[in-house]
Amino acid sequence: MLRRVLLVAGREARADRRQADGLVAAITFMAVLVLLLSLVVGPHVARERGVAPALFWVALLFAAVITAQRSFERELADDALDGVLALPGGRDALYAGKLLAIAGSLAAVALIGGLLQLVFLDLDVALPGHLAIAAALGVAALPPIVVLDVVLTLRLRARAALVPILALPVLLPQLVAGTNAVTAAIAGDEPTAVAWSLLILAFGVIYTVLGLTIVPTAIE
Amino acid sequence: MESTVASARSFAAPDAQPLAALREATVILDDRAVLRRIDLELAAGITVLRGPNGSGKTTALRALAGLVPLARGSRDVPPDVLYLGHRPQLLHGLTARENLRFFRDFRGGGGREARIAAALDRWGLHADADRPVERMSAGQRRRAALARLDTEPCTVVLLDEPFAELDVAAAELLLHALREAPPTAAILVATHGHAEIDALAARLFEVGDGKVTPARQRP
Repeated sequence: MLRRVLLVAGREARADRRQADGLVAAITFMAVLVLLLSLVVGPHVARERGVAPALFWVALLFAAVITAQRSFERELADDALDGVLALPGGRDALYAGKLLAIAGSLAAVALIGGLLQLVFLDLDVALPGHLAIAAALGVAALPPIVVLDVVLTLRLRARAALVPILALPVLLPQLVAGTNAVTAAIAGDEPTAVAWSLLILAFGVIYTVLGLTIVPTAIE
Repeated sequence: MESTVASARSFAAPDAQPLAALREATVILDDRAVLRRIDLELAAGITVLRGPNGSGKTTALRALAGLVPLARGSRDVPPDVLYLGHRPQLLHGLTARENLRFFRDFRGGGGREARIAAALDRWGLHADADRPVERMSAGQRRRAALARLDTEPCTVVLLDEPFAELDVAAAELLLHALREAPPTAAILVATHGHAEIDALAARLFEVGDGKVTPARQRP
């Protein structure tokens, strides 16, 4: 099973490298939002506690939506999805493989977006290790629900609008947890950063189990 | 209620062991029963499903491949099924070679890179094997998809309109591949009419009005 999951993830990563438009769009979106924030509200407000982390997570959520939708558009282009679903074990491997690949792309988006925020807003991070762990957990916990929603809306014309509408309410607690974990890491509040990071981890596990249960039977 | 399937079953040779089957299968798509209580058994050799556009041939193949749910009835198919739909199922962004390698590795048939190269050569794709598939013509993509017949030998092969988009030479290659197929494999070909494949078929069924009816069997 693991071998098949890695094969799907590798296939996705290879296709992403050749058709980088989805990843480039996600990174551009993130960079523009970070720039706009400091210009619109001014650097002083943008540096206030919680503002930059909240923007980071909201931007990353939309980057996840863009990346996942692009990934499945590619699958639908020549009925490539059917090719995988018809393979023995294809249904089970598809979801986990997509999660791995999309989390990898999101990690790149998060790294670039996070660095841009640190530089543009001149943020001092008291606990960089905790910040990195919170960001990594958040990056891993976002795709399960986003990919699940993309799968559920796969054959609907309005899926571009529906995915964020479906994902946002479910992911709101995770966005709050991510914002609080990063804010605490920047401020040097270790216990708070750890507590919120554990909550992100719990969300990630629950969402992944949910997706692994639903997607193999729901995908058509 | 007497189902068409019953007659389809009786049409099979008495000693022919079915390698895959749909039994009393009903498929409903968009509130319409596309297939109604069909009973389709595939034994070794070539079976042709013939019918006009929209008659349910593709749905029957997709039901066998497990790609559409059955509203009722059952599906009895071994795990090693190769389903080639009427689109090539190749992922854009990958080359023809990478697509073939992915499918082969997924089935656990790793190692034999030479086999992929030979298949690409056979299907006339040697020069284009390392081009991303989205830059290939529709006919070339179809050839690349059909090369899976060589790289993923399976007990049950389901081919949906395999002659679509093929030029004369490629169609000849496909007929040759079907003639050369192992006699133990069950091959189901859906087509709206192709005399050459009809001539190769051991069994021929007509699909229409949600039913499958036997049309011919070679003695």
